[in-house]
Amino acid sequence: MIALRATNLTKQYGNKTVVNNLNLEITSGSIFGFLGQNGAGKSTFINMITGLVRPTSGTFEILGAAGDSLNDVRTRIGVLPDYSTFYENFTALDHLKYFSKVLGLKLTTEELKKVLRDVQLEEAMNTKTKNYSFGMKKKLGIAQALINKPDILFLDEPTSGVDANSILGIHSLIRKVAAEGTTIFLTSHNLDEVEKLCTEIAIMNKGSIQTKGTMSELRSQYQKSITVYVKHEMIDNETQQKLTIELSKLVKVLSISATHSEFIVQNESAIPELNKYLVMQQVNVYRLEVEEASLEEIFLNLGVEVQTA
Amino acid sequence: MLAITLREFKSLFQSIRAIIIIVVLFGVTVGSAKLVSQFKRELSGLGLGDNAYVIGLMLLLFLAAPLFVTSISHSSVNKEMESKTIRFLATKTSRENIIFGKFLGNISFWVLCLSIALLLIVPFSKSFYFVDLIQSIIFVSYFIGLSLFLSTVVNNSSLTMFAGIVLSIALPVIGMWSLLSKNVAIDTISYLTPYFYYTHANTSYTYFVLIHTVVFVMLSLIIFKRRDL
Repeated sequence: MIALRATNLTKQYGNKTVVNNLNLEITSGSIFGFLGQNGAGKSTFINMITGLVRPTSGTFEILGAAGDSLNDVRTRIGVLPDYSTFYENFTALDHLKYFSKVLGLKLTTEELKKVLRDVQLEEAMNTKTKNYSFGMKKKLGIAQALINKPDILFLDEPTSGVDANSILGIHSLIRKVAAEGTTIFLTSHNLDEVEKLCTEIAIMNKGSIQTKGTMSELRSQYQKSITVYVKHEMIDNETQQKLTIELSKLVKVLSISATHSEFIVQNESAIPELNKYLVMQQVNVYRLEVEEASLEEIFLNLGVEVQTA
Repeated sequence: MLAITLREFKSLFQSIRAIIIIVVLFGVTVGSAKLVSQFKRELSGLGLGDNAYVIGLMLLLFLAAPLFVTSISHSSVNKEMESKTIRFLATKTSRENIIFGKFLGNISFWVLCLSIALLLIVPFSKSFYFVDLIQSIIFVSYFIGLSLFLSTVVNNSSLTMFAGIVLSIALPVIGMWSLLSKNVAIDTISYLTPYFYYTHANTSYTYFVLIHTVVFVMLSLIIFKRRDL
């Protein structure tokens, strides 16, 4: 089932096209990662889909409702906008009470406290948000997006400015929410985060989607080579020389030493071939490690400038 | 919408400006009613009757309501746009609910204040001026609608405060001027102010002011719906 479908979605500010004829489909239940540099159009896309910004052209459908009927499904959507500020004189609990009423929900204080506990804000729930750090505001932003147990959750940079410990908490929360069936649409600058969390990834550049797929699809498409590390039984010099000559016909040999060797293969299918050859030569393999391309490498191969968090 | 109405209503009571307005409103109302009660017989002789008790409140509203309303309502929408808190609301409810909620919150504040002000007169007049209450609510609703419109059109809350002050001075002046002037332009503009309708001999004209309020609110909504937040 499709949770979100965008068709030729475009946003222009004057002569500047921020999102350009974007087409995208997101399957229900997936954790979709949206990557791109600053100004790539990620936040503008989320803002259009969530009704904050009007598209210049194109259409979209969310949870089966057309863009102009967004009000019909608002209670099933959770949004953490890219820039979150709160009512200064409200506490976290006040905010959740207010937002739940705006959504038309009748939640008990206990239920709201549980949401704050999930984002590790329970201790500060009665503190006015004017005294909150950036990271705490981000957590409250996530909490307010979760109060309605949404079917689709949009998180724009959920961990930027958040301390390392809290990031782990947010990651496990995202996994938990996804496991409960919520479709998650996540933008991030943190490539590791997207790689760890997302089941599907799209890379956006200059307003358009440059590529899209699962991590393994992206790897097979953009990975230029795979490095293979082999830990094997002790081999003598003669065997080392023989292996260097013979394996060079099969793979690129980086090094062959008495107990460790390193090779570069062009694709995954060469790995079992490599292993088979070593076994045939009666070299017992203890461990074989494959270094796959990271998102950073894919980014570089795509010619998109990398921004790490 | 009700949640936004309630929050707007409560937040109005939390500002110093609103508290000053309430004190002035109640002070002038009670003071003038007290004064009138001392000259009850003379005023009856002049044919002013019981309505004289609300004269202080009505005069205060005529002259100061624009300033009162715009000073506390000029930023009801653009302040949330400046702080971006509007983004949380706009992803949770329709834009209609936001605009109507803001309007109803403001009007509720004034309904309560004006009702209390008129209740304070009851010990002197021994009656509650219901028609005057309705008319004063309609009068105030014009300026709430105008403030909401300004707050939606102009992003900067300092600018809407300034525009509110200018209009608070200009509208009563134009309204009163049109009573004496034969100038066509002034007369035409005066139809856009509530003063024309409130100074007409036929008191039912006052209800026409509601049309202005509705126009302001609907224009605010149309503009707000087209806004990128």
